[in-house]
Amino acid sequence: MRLSVQDGGPQTTVQDLGRPGYLRVGIPPSGPMDREAFALANRLVGNPQAAAALECTLIGPRVELADERLVAVTGAEMAVTLNGAEVPRWSGFRVRPGDVVKLGPARAGVRAYLAVEGGIATPPALGSRATYLRGQLGGLEGRAVRRGDVLALGAAADGRPGRLRPELVPTYPDRVVARVVLGPQDDRFTAAGVAAFLAGPYELLPQADRMGARLRGPRIEHNRGHDVISDGIPLGGIQVVGDGQPIVLLVDRQSTGGYTKIATVCSFDIARIGQLRPGQRVRFQRVSVAEAHALRRHHHLTLDAAIEPAA
Amino acid sequence: MAVYPEPRFLPCGDLAVSVEFADEVSRAVNARVLALEYLIQQKALAGVTETVPTYRALLVYYDPAAVGYGGLVTALRSLLAQAQPDALPPARTVELPCCYQGELGFELTAAADRLGLEPAEVVRLHAGADYYVYFVGFTPGLPYMTGMPDRLTIPRLTQPRAKTPPGSVGIGGVQCCIYSVESPGGFWILGRTPLLLYDPAAADPILLRAGDHVRFRAIDRAEFDAIAADVAAGTFRPRIAEGAR
Repeated sequence: MRLSVQDGGPQTTVQDLGRPGYLRVGIPPSGPMDREAFALANRLVGNPQAAAALECTLIGPRVELADERLVAVTGAEMAVTLNGAEVPRWSGFRVRPGDVVKLGPARAGVRAYLAVEGGIATPPALGSRATYLRGQLGGLEGRAVRRGDVLALGAAADGRPGRLRPELVPTYPDRVVARVVLGPQDDRFTAAGVAAFLAGPYELLPQADRMGARLRGPRIEHNRGHDVISDGIPLGGIQVVGDGQPIVLLVDRQSTGGYTKIATVCSFDIARIGQLRPGQRVRFQRVSVAEAHALRRHHHLTLDAAIEPAA
Repeated sequence: MAVYPEPRFLPCGDLAVSVEFADEVSRAVNARVLALEYLIQQKALAGVTETVPTYRALLVYYDPAAVGYGGLVTALRSLLAQAQPDALPPARTVELPCCYQGELGFELTAAADRLGLEPAEVVRLHAGADYYVYFVGFTPGLPYMTGMPDRLTIPRLTQPRAKTPPGSVGIGGVQCCIYSVESPGGFWILGRTPLLLYDPAAADPILLRAGDHVRFRAIDRAEFDAIAADVAAGTFRPRIAEGAR
């Protein structure tokens, strides 16, 4: 009923679908940067999609399982081995007591998800197991896992492994498009500024983490200063600071801020930012709120039908 | 700087909308923000997943599978008529012990020089004021407060420091700030409270709430250390009075 960490990798954290309700006191929801890959990993091992699993960043961990379980790895392209032999990603596979699962360095994308049947059973904090690193909250003692840690697992449910339909396995290209809804403060930019923002592209800078992603590209011109009276920052909110460059605020974001926000990345494209590497580029494409909601529905319908039984 | 005749609804992506009341900071505007949030909570408005109050706006997160944008805006509009300050429950007053001495108030002397006051006078003015918490955020548990006498209005530091210890009490502009976690900072640090504004180990990790009043009580270093020990042991109970207006 446990998973032992033999090597934690650079930043492997316990996550679930997040901790809603506490932004009003400054605690972000946390949760996975690629919500879709996370939820699929759980479903591939028969878990509810909100079960806790590991988010692995750039280089995966090496873990040993103490009993028989289904395991699945999704997200960034990290080679997965079971006792040294490569096994497929995006597909549930069975491990036996003492088996070792290792995730290598990511060849594309940034964040991979390792789900185990039964889910990770670290103690919830404020109703969630998601790790909020800056706030030292949730997960395992509010920190990334490391060598020697032992994570409790929930009861296995005798599930059957699934696999993602092959045509739906995502790739992680160098250039991505992220759909945005303009606002809440697009009226604080010149027409040329908004046009530059929508033309792009913007390159991800190395200063990118679970809190936010700093970008560099065409300068976005303000019409009357870059400060607003501090207000709430939505998921995907794009702040434009004094130098006319955007920052996309993500799952571990500050709850409020005083910079103008030109637009908001749609929920279903947050993962595209979360899987981007420094030097790779994003172009923002404007949609209306109604279009965003239709795209979200379609996105969820596709995901609902995304899994078939593994061979 | 104005209060809008009608609040503005500003889309924030596909999961949130900002209800903006004004382009100014005032207690009256903030009370309307808090009243709207309170009514949403009381009525458990369908589809709303969470709310974030700030000075002059309420960010409303919603689940578009449960409520459409148009339906949500209509529901919020109907609540707005009732969203008046007298709809709010009485505010709390929270007493925060604060030590203004030595290394804990490491910029007290510099701030006093800048303000042309004696350090003791700065402490007397700062600890004598009634502060109002507009909202809590940025980092977990950090209160956005005003209430200082005009004589303590001071420009923010031109070179923000890289790290500020948690509990540090600072002033900048007309605001008073208490750092809740170690973070960069641009406020002049006058003292430190031994209380934890954010305690990730606690069942209820946040001390202050939007709408609270705060009073500082000047304490010496010995009392600071004694309270800090009680806080660490989990035995300290902050003094909180209900019913302020």
